[in-house]
Amino acid sequence: MADPTHHFQARPSALRRSESAIFWLFRGATYLVLLCGAVVFLNIFIKGLSTVFQTKAPFVNTTFLTEAPESLYVFEWQGKKMEMGDKEFRVFKERNPAAANVKSESYVYCAGGIFPCIVGTVLLVIGSMTIALTLGVCAAVYLNEYARDGTFIRFVRLAILNLAGVPSIVFGLFGYGMFVIFFGWNTSLLAGWFTLAFMVLPVVITASEESLKAVPKGFREGSLALGATKWQTIRKNVLPYALPGILTSSILGIARVAGETAPIMFTAASVLRTQLPWQGLTRWTDFFFQGVMALPYHIYVVSAKIPQNEYTERVQYGTAFVFLFIVALTAAASIVLRTRLRNRYKW
Amino acid sequence: MASPAPADSAHFIAHKGKFRLFGLTLDTCIKVFFGGNAVVSIIVLALITIFLFREGAGFFGQNRQNLKVYREAGLEYVDFIRAQQDDHTALTRYLSDLRLRQFQHFTQHQHLTPAAANAALAGFDEFAGQYGDAVEPLRTLVSDLTEQATAIKERFTVMEDRKTERAQLLAAGKAQAAAEVGITPVDFVAELKPILGTLPAYREASADLAKRLAGIVAAAPAMPTPELQARLDRFRQLTAEYLAGFPAVARNLETWDYRRPVPATQEFSAFLFGREWVTASFWQDWYGVIPLVAGSLMVSLVALVLAVPLGVGAAIYVNQIASPWEQRLIKPCIEFISAVPSVVLGFFGIAVLGQTLRALSQQTWLAWVPGFPYSERLNILTAGCLLALLAVPTIFTLAEDALNNVPRSFKEASFALGATRLQTVMRIIVPASLSGIISAVLLGFGRVIGETMVVLLCAGNRIAIPDFTAGLAVITQPVHTMTGIIAQEMGEVVQGSIHYRALFVVGILLFFLSLAINYAAQHIVRRYRISIG
Amino acid sequence: MESTAPAPAITLRPLSAPAAIPAAPGSAVAPAGETLIDIDHVDFFYGAVQALHDISLHIEHKKVTAFIGPSGCGKSTLLRCFNRMNDLIDGTRVASGTIKIRGIDIHRPDVDVIELRKRVGMVFQKSNPFPKSIYENITYGLKLQGVNNAARLDEVVEKSLRGAALWNEVKDRLHTSGLGLSGGQQQRLCIARAIAVEPEIILMDEPCSALDPVATAKVEELIQSLRERYTIVIVTHNMQQAARCSDSTAFFYMGKLIEYAPTRDIFMNPASPQTEAYVSGRFG
Repeated sequence: MADPTHHFQARPSALRRSESAIFWLFRGATYLVLLCGAVVFLNIFIKGLSTVFQTKAPFVNTTFLTEAPESLYVFEWQGKKMEMGDKEFRVFKERNPAAANVKSESYVYCAGGIFPCIVGTVLLVIGSMTIALTLGVCAAVYLNEYARDGTFIRFVRLAILNLAGVPSIVFGLFGYGMFVIFFGWNTSLLAGWFTLAFMVLPVVITASEESLKAVPKGFREGSLALGATKWQTIRKNVLPYALPGILTSSILGIARVAGETAPIMFTAASVLRTQLPWQGLTRWTDFFFQGVMALPYHIYVVSAKIPQNEYTERVQYGTAFVFLFIVALTAAASIVLRTRLRNRYKW
Repeated sequence: MASPAPADSAHFIAHKGKFRLFGLTLDTCIKVFFGGNAVVSIIVLALITIFLFREGAGFFGQNRQNLKVYREAGLEYVDFIRAQQDDHTALTRYLSDLRLRQFQHFTQHQHLTPAAANAALAGFDEFAGQYGDAVEPLRTLVSDLTEQATAIKERFTVMEDRKTERAQLLAAGKAQAAAEVGITPVDFVAELKPILGTLPAYREASADLAKRLAGIVAAAPAMPTPELQARLDRFRQLTAEYLAGFPAVARNLETWDYRRPVPATQEFSAFLFGREWVTASFWQDWYGVIPLVAGSLMVSLVALVLAVPLGVGAAIYVNQIASPWEQRLIKPCIEFISAVPSVVLGFFGIAVLGQTLRALSQQTWLAWVPGFPYSERLNILTAGCLLALLAVPTIFTLAEDALNNVPRSFKEASFALGATRLQTVMRIIVPASLSGIISAVLLGFGRVIGETMVVLLCAGNRIAIPDFTAGLAVITQPVHTMTGIIAQEMGEVVQGSIHYRALFVVGILLFFLSLAINYAAQHIVRRYRISIG
Repeated sequence: MESTAPAPAITLRPLSAPAAIPAAPGSAVAPAGETLIDIDHVDFFYGAVQALHDISLHIEHKKVTAFIGPSGCGKSTLLRCFNRMNDLIDGTRVASGTIKIRGIDIHRPDVDVIELRKRVGMVFQKSNPFPKSIYENITYGLKLQGVNNAARLDEVVEKSLRGAALWNEVKDRLHTSGLGLSGGQQQRLCIARAIAVEPEIILMDEPCSALDPVATAKVEELIQSLRERYTIVIVTHNMQQAARCSDSTAFFYMGKLIEYAPTRDIFMNPASPQTEAYVSGRFG
């Protein structure tokens, strides 16, 4: 042999080629998934941008973000095509009596904005997360700090696992059957809070337990060996260190609560309410027993119940954009904070 | 200190004066409090079961009543004849299909103008016309009977409503008003007499139909090609089979008895195995869950077929092949996709994906794909694609976890034996984590089948069992799903009605299905843990 | 606790004449002296596994007692019985026998385990300062007992840190995190934390096993100085350490007490062949 070869020289072979081909296949699958996700995001972001932002100052479409939805009227007036919201149109007709009988096409929900939906979603998230965090953190403290292995704990864990797998629409049915009908709360904020809280409970419990587990055993032993009671140990030496982790992981729960439509469809969501939740209350308790508009439900309504055309597209994409933006922001915050927290707390 | 002081010895004896509540120390109270919170998850699960059954359990009794009325008011009787008529309609559809094929043959192969082709088909049209008209007497009979039966049912419904009204008044203590509510009992024997009296008329119509069809088919015109001729022969055979079924129908009618009790299992079987979900119909409501289950399963199947290779492939890539910076980048991105609310995906399906896929299906170079081209924008495929995107993050995360749990030593041992990376992945890592991956797929399935908004918006919402005879093209048909039907109809039903309860029963089915899937996934994981040792 | 009792010898002089020591397991042997912890025929189980077999021994007041033996011999388990830390582990139980401290059976139902742990401090194998400041670490135990007087806390912090020979190193940064100290300092901080609540007994579970030789020497010095005020029970893997620090030594093997005698006897003149084999490094 002319050129000196050695035993370990790499040789091209069919095996090697097929190996790299298969690796490329896996890589392709991964990037395809990312591409699909990106397409969805970009489509909604790009089309939604034009509704939410504008080229003129103040650059943000304040009407869309701060007003309630109303019907859009499109009509021809003196050779010009006019678009007006419901209120504006009425004023216009009063000013121009000739316009009283003008032929107009109306598109529901397509004018005005989505402010009540944003408010409703925020209220739903705050209430349900408060309930879920209270119940979930306490449950996790019990499971991680007090419980000893036994039949009871196995049952609890099984219940948590199974609860996590229950479809959201079943939670909706349950909330409807229990809170709306049996308790007679009607379609209300309160019913929505509890339904969503129960739905997100497994997420919160799991996240809290993980954070509690991350607190080293030495903290507990050290404290107990100094004569602290169990509760003193937990309160002073466990919970403070677990809390940041619990809160960040629970943000993912917020994304879930804010994003679900099915559970609130029959328990909390109203199709249209012109008044904001704190307006027109006769008693303060009425606040809890009113339905609210919510972003996800509004998206459902505007995408399923009204036809698609250039006028409706604006509100559809605008709402989807705002909603996705909120949810994506919380999710991203949760992911970033979690990575950061993992790096910071190493004991 | 020469000897232990007695006072010291009492250091760690509990003080009697410690805070106590119901005989429990403070620490025990706190423990009980936390324990109470832990029980909440069990309670919630129990409450879900209780309330689903509370609202749903009444369905079966109502369905029994529903089926009983169907029989007693003679609707069942009429449906025997109607089925005969519907079968005939199906045969005429076969004929129109045959006509279309002949027309295509004439215009495309023999290059006739459409007018000329139509002229050439004149004989066939006459044949088909006669075939279609032959059923006319039977059709008249059915429509008469339909009216009569509906009237009986209507009277029965009114009577039931009155009864409810009276019961409510009595419950409210208004005996006077209750007595004033007139109830006219329905005498089914008398009411049914005119319907049953039509039996001779039916016999006549049926015999007439049989005779005419036999004659018409015998004189069918010849087909231009052997292939079409074979189809016509098949049609002859179908007609013969159809005619052979007539005596059975007649027997059914003769032996039919409105008093025959509805078997106790039928209210369940009519739900679980019912092939029709018809609500708010003037004739008869059916609550058969099969179309919905089939729809849910088909959509999930398409989603999983797409999501499993992608999700598991991505997990293998990220866990075993990707460079560290790719890992750091890709994992949060895929997690991020899981945060996309399903209603947004559903909207994307309606606004973009449905049209895009349809446009794609109409490309000529894709015509080889089964089912392409199609015209329904929202169908199994659209919903399946979107659900796949929802399922991928679930499958990816869990499968990646499973791969991560394979002990490092396995991998090292394999490399040390001179295996390549691919061989190590495929023969060591994936088999070792297989049960984890399977459970990931199962949980992905659970996620998909329980998903509501995407299917509600994008599955097409046609309540029918998909036509599986179409082969793979079945995925381009619209369907309705279990989750979708609840979301769609729950807002419109009367509380306490049979329809309302039927939706709860669908919810119960869904609930137990998800529990079963969860159980299977956990079971597999548990076995896997043991096998790793 | 100013003791007027004869000052304990710093040298490893046995306190009593080496009596004939029966080497049989379960032998209740104590070098003469005042007994503080009295362990009487203790059997201990982890679930179904018996970790201690019929242990009997007396631990003397204001002496350093070392437990030696190979890994898994039960010495740490026994140590953790003294302040009932084993209660925290599921499925553990003292099946028979009693452990008495000052004549009180610590498993008696009316014993408050919290009070017990205040009297019986513990230092762990891995130093576990809380992620709080040095000051807060020391005052943690006192605050639990409701001591909030700032002057008193300051005083205790200084006294404890001096007692733990750490004062000079950290006095300028009392309010920085305890996690910022070196390993040896962290362990001494944990000792300071333990003595801040003024226990009678300090249990040390391999306190030096994670430390380098210099830090180990410092902790050993500390132990020498603490012996005047506290009863110390130390579990160690390091036989030299046992020889250097302790007055009496108990050798455990497979959950049994093989030999318990004044330290010098264990090392110079072991009664049991197993002890001899272990201390001469032939196994373990």
